Amino acid sequence: MMKPSRWLIIVVALILVSPLFGIYLADLVGYSEPLDIAIEMLGLEEWRDEWPLKDYSIPGLDPYLGYIASGFIGVGAVALTIFILDKALTYVGKKRN
Amino acid sequence: MHIPDGVLSINVVVSTYAVLVGVAYAAFSKISRVWSSSLTGKTSSIAAVVFAAQMINWPIPGGTSLHFVGGALSGIMLGPWAGFTAMLTVLLVQALVFHDGGLTALGANAINMAVVAVFSGYVLYKVLKRSAWIAGFTSGWLSVFLAGTLCGIELWLSNPLSIAPLIVMALWHAALGVVEGAITASAIVYVKRKAPQLIEV
Repeated sequence: MMKPSRWLIIVVALILVSPLFGIYLADLVGYSEPLDIAIEMLGLEEWRDEWPLKDYSIPGLDPYLGYIASGFIGVGAVALTIFILDKALTYVGKKRN
Repeated sequence: MHIPDGVLSINVVVSTYAVLVGVAYAAFSKISRVWSSSLTGKTSSIAAVVFAAQMINWPIPGGTSLHFVGGALSGIMLGPWAGFTAMLTVLLVQALVFHDGGLTALGANAINMAVVAVFSGYVLYKVLKRSAWIAGFTSGWLSVFLAGTLCGIELWLSNPLSIAPLIVMALWHAALGVVEGAITASAIVYVKRKAPQLIEV
């Protein structure tokens, strides 16, 4: 089994370098995903709704720091979701036995 | 590849959610029989890595970009049902916390990235696993090509007057899948060398 610390290092490293690609290069190149191109071809537009952490940004925080903080918030939310799932599946397993 | 709100027709939204509910029921029934603390740790670790890796968008000259999807990698390292669970968790967090992928499109996004990408990657790796690099590369490539093409089909079914977006999605993802294949293959070869017991196939 891979040590938990090794997983953590991989996740933290990915989050720390992510603004370089998600913000700096995005601004530099001005790109869009193939899906954005396809949606534009159809003349459709994404609904413009308010969302507190939309596009991995945190209101009032520098975009780079906001992107990094969003990464940690997201990983925390992933861990919490799987923790809840673990409790539910353990309960179902015990009930079955 | 995350479809936003306002793009899919109501028929596609309802049908994709119905399929997602069916697959999720099957997945949770299957994994509840084998669920353990080690599988919990492995699933959350893979899901966290995929979430963080998806935040890295690579710009491609010509005005487009790609990010790692991770469906094939999840399927190969966790098996199809736990792989589906890891990918669904990532998509849920992206949609609910960051609105990356619409709530109305969650069914479609989950079918593309948590079902088709995971299962196709898992099956192809199983067939070709004699060579880890070739199996990892082809399963990564196919998973993204199929997921992107299905995403194009969902757009086309929602807007049947134009087939051009379907062609755009299929062609772009056939090309972008090469990067997914290379990352998946490199990750699998590394894990196979350092901790082969982590590979589920």
